[in-house]
Amino acid sequence: MSVSMVTGGSYLESLLQGQPQLPSSPSAWLNQLRADAVDRVGALKVPTTRDEEWRFTDISPLAKLSFQPVRAVSSLQTADVERFYLEEAATRLVFVDGAYAPQLSTQPDEATDSGLIVSNLSTALSAHATAIEPHLGRHAGFRDNVFAALNTAFLQDGALIIAPRNAVAEKPVHLLFVATQREAASHPRCLLIAESGSAITVVEDYVALQEDAYVTNAVTEIALADNAQVNHIRVQRDSTEAFHIANCAVSTGRASRYRSVSVALGARISRYNLNTLLAAEEAECAIDGLALITGRQLADTHTCIDHAKPHGISRQSHKCIVDGAAHAVFNGKILVRPNAQRTDSSQSSRNLLLNAKARVDTKPQLEIFADDVKCAHGATVGQLDNDEVFYLKSRGLSEITARNLLTYAFGAEIIDRISVASLKHRLEQAVLEQTQRN
Amino acid sequence: MSAVLQNLVNQPYKHGFVTEIESDVAPRGLSEDTIRLISAKKNEPGWLLEFRLKAYQQWLKMEEPKWPNVKYPKIDFQAISYYSAPKPKQKLSSMDEVDPELLRTFEKLGVPMHERAALAGVAVDVIFDSVSVATTYKQKLAEVGITFCSISEAVQMHPDLVRQYLGTVVPVGDNYYAALNSAVFTDGTFCFIPKGVKCPMDLSTYFRINTEESGQFERTLIIAEDGASVSYLEGCTAPKFDTNQLHAAVVELIALDNADIKYSTVQNWYAGDENGLGGIYNFVTKRGLAKGINSRISWTQVETGSAITWKYPSCVLQGENSVGEFYSVAVTNNYQQADTGTKMIHIGKNTRSTIVSKGISAGHSNNSYRGLVRIAPTATGARNYSQCDSMLIGDKCSASTFPYIQVRNQGAKVEHEASTSKIGEDQLFYFAQRGIDSEEAVSMIINGFCKDVFQQLPMEFAVEATKLLGFKLEGSVG
Amino acid sequence: MIYQDSKTLLDVHGLRASVNGIEILKGINLTVRSGEVHAIMGTNGSGKSTFAKVLAGHNAYKVTGGSVTFEGNNLFDLEPEERARAGVFLAFQYPIEIPGVANSHFLRLAYNTTQAQRGKDELDPLEFEDFVREKMKLLEMNPDFLDRGVNEGFSGGEKKRNEILQMALLEPKLAILDETDSGLDIDALRIVTKGVNQLATKDNAIILVTHYQRLLNYIEPDYVHVMAGGRIIKTGGKELALDLETRGYDWVSIEQRAAARA
Repeated sequence: MSVSMVTGGSYLESLLQGQPQLPSSPSAWLNQLRADAVDRVGALKVPTTRDEEWRFTDISPLAKLSFQPVRAVSSLQTADVERFYLEEAATRLVFVDGAYAPQLSTQPDEATDSGLIVSNLSTALSAHATAIEPHLGRHAGFRDNVFAALNTAFLQDGALIIAPRNAVAEKPVHLLFVATQREAASHPRCLLIAESGSAITVVEDYVALQEDAYVTNAVTEIALADNAQVNHIRVQRDSTEAFHIANCAVSTGRASRYRSVSVALGARISRYNLNTLLAAEEAECAIDGLALITGRQLADTHTCIDHAKPHGISRQSHKCIVDGAAHAVFNGKILVRPNAQRTDSSQSSRNLLLNAKARVDTKPQLEIFADDVKCAHGATVGQLDNDEVFYLKSRGLSEITARNLLTYAFGAEIIDRISVASLKHRLEQAVLEQTQRN
Repeated sequence: MSAVLQNLVNQPYKHGFVTEIESDVAPRGLSEDTIRLISAKKNEPGWLLEFRLKAYQQWLKMEEPKWPNVKYPKIDFQAISYYSAPKPKQKLSSMDEVDPELLRTFEKLGVPMHERAALAGVAVDVIFDSVSVATTYKQKLAEVGITFCSISEAVQMHPDLVRQYLGTVVPVGDNYYAALNSAVFTDGTFCFIPKGVKCPMDLSTYFRINTEESGQFERTLIIAEDGASVSYLEGCTAPKFDTNQLHAAVVELIALDNADIKYSTVQNWYAGDENGLGGIYNFVTKRGLAKGINSRISWTQVETGSAITWKYPSCVLQGENSVGEFYSVAVTNNYQQADTGTKMIHIGKNTRSTIVSKGISAGHSNNSYRGLVRIAPTATGARNYSQCDSMLIGDKCSASTFPYIQVRNQGAKVEHEASTSKIGEDQLFYFAQRGIDSEEAVSMIINGFCKDVFQQLPMEFAVEATKLLGFKLEGSVG
Repeated sequence: MIYQDSKTLLDVHGLRASVNGIEILKGINLTVRSGEVHAIMGTNGSGKSTFAKVLAGHNAYKVTGGSVTFEGNNLFDLEPEERARAGVFLAFQYPIEIPGVANSHFLRLAYNTTQAQRGKDELDPLEFEDFVREKMKLLEMNPDFLDRGVNEGFSGGEKKRNEILQMALLEPKLAILDETDSGLDIDALRIVTKGVNQLATKDNAIILVTHYQRLLNYIEPDYVHVMAGGRIIKTGGKELALDLETRGYDWVSIEQRAAARA
């Protein structure tokens, strides 16, 4: 492995290496978007722990690796990745090291799937330009976010899902991102447009074929029109040597409902920014997360729920189970803007430390600029509740069994909110394996 | 004087007058020479001058903190006078010798310090601009071995004690304003409770900024030896000026084994007018070191004044089983900004801390709670409980909560809860239906909201705080 | 009880009121004289709770027509707290919780405000404590009620008792009890109604707003009014309530429509 110490601009330049070779798009606006992003990459610096937003997450190890642009198109076959497939998902887009793999993907039959569009972005770009242009790069701001800027600078392909007006997709759509190359930098991009009255479930799933060091820098944009419902399940099970950085921006229309369950199991260092803008009245979101980490892993989740309009509802529950010498970070900001009256928001951050070396930094944060609102948040850090352990022991369970049961239950509460049964079972199994002692 | 009386009657801020006392004011500006001047005027020993100069050198290299949720124009530190003292009566031995004008001020405040001091048996130290003008009950306290005097006097009379503890809890380079204070502090209170002594009365300091161009940089040092205990009260006011005055105090508390220090503040510095003009910048560093086993440090504050408040009374819980407490009510109205909270640093085993913070925002004000709970790897069995509630009155103000929770020990338990509420139409209607008008209803609801904190205040302060709040929020509802 | 020498307390003429632009009360006429007990019955949405809140002066309801006088004075000239001090009392259907404000403090303030209005002596906290404990016995209330926040964490029954306790303290001329029986078990209902009956005199009057006849087994009304569609469509004696209990509400409306056609 070639290791070179680079910092600041030069490091970003090294990450940008592959960019100049991107073929220019026939869409002028897309070329402009990429050019703007390249400018921002040039102007921004890699964040350090002196930046409030990165106070607990030191990404300097990332700067110690040199990354190459992704080599040639993948020759993976179904047999290589089949084990990651979800039986419920009729449509699936697979990306290998960031590149679309048509041989592994299944696109919907437009005639039978009520007009649902699930395609790779570059193929669909010209046919759906009018639908895409108002959204792509418009929700995930990159002015002050170097990683979003970097992703946008590389924007060439990605996953596109359009749920047309009043379309109700019965089955989930599976977006599978497979990492296969060490020291590769990939920039996955997803755009989900849920038109008014539509309903859809999307699974965004990051997996690795082997334990390599690589970097994933993903951006996902989700736009919900009036009365749309999106169920977004995100699973990050990258290699425990990998760096996973992701920005997800969600914008909601009137009376729309966004539900998100995100689970972080993998990566050496992961950082997930989820920004949900309740941009119209009566919008509702439920945002749940679980980080289950051990060894030297660091999982950092930053969420912002931005109540911009009246009568919004938000519910958030974030949990971390931290073993080994791992480090969990949570920063959950609830913002209630001046005219967002009658906002109803609640948030909880609960953390379980399983090892003396494990650590957690949590900051549930409320910023309220309207008076007629109901907001509450809470945070706890600690071990299992002794009374609960005692209760189970008094019913004849051994100490170990009681603790295992309670630890599992702590994590399973979030997993239970995943609506795709096969994925839920797999994740339950993962929680079980990681939390059980004997 | 009739103009002053006129002021007292007409002005919403009751303490906004200037007392006409001739002052000895140092020229504006800050340099090593200024520091040498202060040190010379106070006839200080060489080590203290060194302490000041070291702080000054550090301060020069530091930058003003940017992270608080407050906005203000850049302060010109060269436009401030760093020393101001009333010329006559510098050496007073009792409250009787204090200028009657000043005593009358206390009466008008509803805090008749003179009489109340006698009645309630509260010992009072009065700091007027830069110097201590009077300390009461000194003799009586000395009989039980307690030293209670101005810090200038302590430097002369008990130099070893001051030298041993000064700057040990808040190091000279701790933060920008603490460094500034360490360089230029002029006076403050010193209190030493020896081993096993329970202080027989509440000790109190009354701070007043009087001069327009002067800053106030007082320094308080309280030491409670093994098994000692003390309850200390602090009150603050300032006249109304269209300009902003800087108040950058440092308070250090040290509690040894089984010692107990309770520190209560009612802060009512001038907050500026209804358009945000004028008012005090209150940038204060307060920290207590619970050094000994089973020691306890408790902060209670009612913050109603100041244009900007930037203040985090903190506890470093070093001794095993030591306890830290923070009870706070912060009220902001008009264009006030407050960024206040606490830090609870758990180092010792089985240390416990409690945080109760109540923020009330009205007008165009901005009220933030910022708190840190840190559990060090050594703090096995540590416990923290925090509760931070906000109440908003009107839709032009804001309330924010920034709790930082950092846990490095598996065997600790930290709980944080926060909520917001408002004074609702339905509540006011319920009161009205029982014949209670909205002003009275608001006052009751607010006092109910703050009850958990007021209960921690000594009786006479609680009464004062209640009055202050009602007055503060007059006309902000309905 | 109907007395010969009674005075008119409340006089409602053609009262109309709306909430959020939707008209709920569409012309109510009602006269209440001292000593009388009136029951206003009706299904959900008939407007009976709105009527109670309009009399108390809730600002969510806009009066769009008609008049209401209380002891000959225009009720709408008075703010809600002035109405309360004048002797109009509303026992709320859903008493609101006011955390942090001690019930004892609240009750004493309300009591003293009313006393001051009537030119009577106010009570200091100790005197009040004795006074209120006597009143609480009437309602079989636990003394720890006094130390808790106003209605904070009270059960439904406790809230209703607290309302009647306030009625006992304030001695209103006109008490409007809005669904006071809802959510009460038989024991609680017995206690609350016993309290109300002891408070009824020949100088005051009570309006019971209720959905069910059950309450009227305990407090005997002199008049029963049936409300539907924002109007009082039928008035009778206490036997009317029994009719409603056995036959439901529909027949009244049908009879009413038939009468209108005739």
